[in-house]
Amino acid sequence: MKILEAKNINKSFHDPITIQVLKEVTFSIEQGEFISVIGKSGCGKSTLLYILSTMDTDYEGDLIIDGVLMRNKKEAELARVRNEKIGFVFQFHYLLNEFSVLRNVMLPGIKLGKYSDQEVEHKAMEKLKILGIESEAKKKPNQLSGGQKQRVAIARALINDPLIIMADEPLVILTKKTANWSLTFSRSYLMSIISRCS
Amino acid sequence: MNFKLIASVSRSLLFARWKQTLIAAIGVTFGITMFIALLSFMGGLNGLLDSLIINRTPHIRLYKEVLPSDIQPVDLSAQYTNHYNFVNSIRPKNERPEIQNSFAVINALENDRRVLGVAPKVTAQVFYNVGLVNLTGLINGIDVDAENRLFAFSEYVTAGNFVDLKNIPNSIILGKAGAEKMMVEIGDVISVTNPRGDRIPLKVVGLFESGIQELDKVQSYASITTCQKILGESSGYITDLQIKLHDMTLAPEMAKEYSELFDTEAVDIQSANAQFDTGSSVRTLISYAVGVTLLIVAGFGIYNILNMMIYEKMDSIAILKATGFSGKDVNRIFIFIALTIGIFGGLLGLLFGFGASVLIDQIPFDTPALPHITTYPVSYNPKFYIIGGIFSLVTTYFAGYFPSQKASKIDPVIIIRGK
Repeated sequence: MKILEAKNINKSFHDPITIQVLKEVTFSIEQGEFISVIGKSGCGKSTLLYILSTMDTDYEGDLIIDGVLMRNKKEAELARVRNEKIGFVFQFHYLLNEFSVLRNVMLPGIKLGKYSDQEVEHKAMEKLKILGIESEAKKKPNQLSGGQKQRVAIARALINDPLIIMADEPLVILTKKTANWSLTFSRSYLMSIISRCS
Repeated sequence: MNFKLIASVSRSLLFARWKQTLIAAIGVTFGITMFIALLSFMGGLNGLLDSLIINRTPHIRLYKEVLPSDIQPVDLSAQYTNHYNFVNSIRPKNERPEIQNSFAVINALENDRRVLGVAPKVTAQVFYNVGLVNLTGLINGIDVDAENRLFAFSEYVTAGNFVDLKNIPNSIILGKAGAEKMMVEIGDVISVTNPRGDRIPLKVVGLFESGIQELDKVQSYASITTCQKILGESSGYITDLQIKLHDMTLAPEMAKEYSELFDTEAVDIQSANAQFDTGSSVRTLISYAVGVTLLIVAGFGIYNILNMMIYEKMDSIAILKATGFSGKDVNRIFIFIALTIGIFGGLLGLLFGFGASVLIDQIPFDTPALPHITTYPVSYNPKFYIIGGIFSLVTTYFAGYFPSQKASKIDPVIIIRGK
């Protein structure tokens, strides 16, 4: 089953001069498939990721996620798609320091509104357990180490059991052991990861 | 559900910068406090000044003006009906300034459902005799009970008992300034000369202060019967009928109606005291303007703090959007923050405003012009509190609206790419 399809995606930057970054990018991803995008810096890896993640809507071509065409969708609908079907892990962790670790993981789950707060909390604890940081659940993110923060970010990406996990150099700051472990883990969960590795 | 989430995110953002939140809320509190205190004080003062005039002025006054007749004998002559008749130097005929058939008129007025009460009055021009000097004076003959019930007569009788006017025959209540001028005190007997030249002795049973000294020097009060006796008139002789209505706004049209019905002159309070209304409304306008200015300044404070918060929280907003919060949700979060500041700041402001009003109400305020007032007047009109509450919400909403629009338009790609 095709989880994500990109058809003839073109993207240009216009400032200060028009440069076409992505030319006719066409590919598809099956469920459970693991994909790495490799290229030298400035070749458009992140740009492609932002388009695939629906955050960037300024492109030509078609993007189909889970059989639904993303073009002409409203901002709120795209937000819903990101919430429900896509998990994000960024190069930088982007945790909210105002909330506890547990709450950070729970936020997208509560936003989805599919489960009650108690259920979301239970699920969040499970994800933290899988990543081995359940003991830090009550702490604030700024009390954690870099690697722990990144693991929290991974737990957050998993909370809504997304179809796709997109990661932008996620494992750079993780130890080799955690990195291997994370990758194995994501395979066993039958999810697709699009990962940018430099 | 969604609301709960937005509320919890807003709360966390609020408490993350609680000092600034507090300052913003204090701004609103101060604005509302001053707004309430100012309006309550102004309202009280307006009410006091209005009551000076309105409580003591009849809503409609019926009286007889001695005027030259509109119809001259030549107009009645059949011979000159088709002519232009010019008559020069017309003078009024000798007529008493009396309301005809006064008992029936009073009866008819008292049976009118729109009328709260009627107080008849007889005015008499006299001279107060002080040794060889005669001072001009005006005695108002009043129905003591009706006058007190309708026009709070007792409030400005500062010495003696106003009821004595009714109980002691041939008694008079002098203005305080007048009594000082004549060097008399309560219990003394003065004599007055009526227009016919007769001297009548009257016993001083009280002193009044109207707040207008010139008036106090000239005017005095006696009972209707005393006054009729001074003038040598019968008990049916009434020169003025002072009418108080249930609804003051009906006065102008009812004045017209009575004027035709009873064939007298009738003047309503609105035309008699137009300048007073203007003064009140201008004062109210000024206090509202000052109050609204305070609130708008507080609004700018909130605007600044929210704007700063958005710059600080750019990353958080970007990540919220990346994980599935829409622009609308982000917008709601910041509006929620602004309204929370508005509601709590506003509520505290209403409370402090009430406290300030109570405090002002305790400050002694002694003025010889207003004998029954001992502290500064304050109005506890709920209208001020409602307006203050609504206005605090409206200002904070608009203070939050523009920053939240900005926040909702943050493009997560730009923020994330920038790292």
